[in-house]
Amino acid sequence: MQPELETRGTRTGTGWQDHDGFVGPVQPGTGPRSDPRGDFPTGPEIGDAMPDARCIAADATQFDLHAHRAGRPAVFVFYRSAVW
Amino acid sequence: MQDFDAAGVAVYALSYDEADALRDFGVAHGITYTLLSDPDSDVIRSFSILNTLIDPNAHPWYGIPYPGTYVVSAEGAITHKFFDNNLALRAGPEQLLRAAQGQPMLESKPNEAAPEEVQVRVALDGDNLAPMVQKDLVVRFSVPTGRHVYAKPAPQGAAAVEVTLDENERLVQRPVVRPTSEPHALAGTEESFQVHHDVFELRLPLTVNGSAGSDAAAITISGEVSWQCCDDEVCDIPTSQRFELTLPVSEPPAVALGNRRGATLEPNAMAHFQRMSERRRGSD
Repeated sequence: MQPELETRGTRTGTGWQDHDGFVGPVQPGTGPRSDPRGDFPTGPEIGDAMPDARCIAADATQFDLHAHRAGRPAVFVFYRSAVW
Repeated sequence: MQDFDAAGVAVYALSYDEADALRDFGVAHGITYTLLSDPDSDVIRSFSILNTLIDPNAHPWYGIPYPGTYVVSAEGAITHKFFDNNLALRAGPEQLLRAAQGQPMLESKPNEAAPEEVQVRVALDGDNLAPMVQKDLVVRFSVPTGRHVYAKPAPQGAAAVEVTLDENERLVQRPVVRPTSEPHALAGTEESFQVHHDVFELRLPLTVNGSAGSDAAAITISGEVSWQCCDDEVCDIPTSQRFELTLPVSEPPAVALGNRRGATLEPNAMAHFQRMSERRRGSD
């Protein structure tokens, strides 16, 4: 599914304001503010088994979600970046 | 984070950043949950949430997900999802903790107080509002035993339970989360409609943006709750109740780069950013 790009925004004295009123340095519809308009992919659905996630952790060790949570409920956040 | 630990809920946060950048970020902000590195966006792709609106040659932005959060039960099933069209907006910790604990309350529960009239209490689930971080304004109803209020959609001529905020350009709100309603059949007829009874909650997700006056350290939220209460024989006329809350507004979430109020610059962030851009450029 390829959503539409949300480009609504206005230039303000302090940056670019999007249609929700959030102000940032980047113009809406570009770079890190490439927001989808309307439906967009949100991955597996409620009720589905959570897919496993295998990658490395900040301490460079191997990580496996279901092994790590070891039967605990979990909150799994996908975010854009810790660097910018 | 202590609340998540106390509730036995594991917390993970994954991004396309390099592991050493996450290590610096974690140290700078005292992060105790698990930061995960997915520099080639393999996990992001495997969840089918890669942001494909970004051109693969747009360094270093390509590779980020449509950000969002999954809440997973002990058995490993997804019980809640939080995604929003506005990529800046994120679920607040209270929302995530309630979800992990089986909240928000999806069904009515028995009324212990047995009030004579409908009672409505409005409060924020959280101590404050912070820009971009969503919290729930909770409207808790107690309905007298044997009576009910109309759920949405109400039958023609009747009024469903509703919460509306007064116009406020600093507030960003999303659709009200409603509990499951129950069918109620009118005695002697085949007519049936949806109702709520006993104790139930409406949750209105909201946050503050960066529009005019956003530097103010507090915000006043006002609005109206409305409902129509009935028993099997008679209906009261629709009723409403005003509310007004003044809440502190705290700092926006930590970011490594950026000059926003409250932003803490992680000392190596610019170096990480440059390396990230170069690595991605080199991998074409």
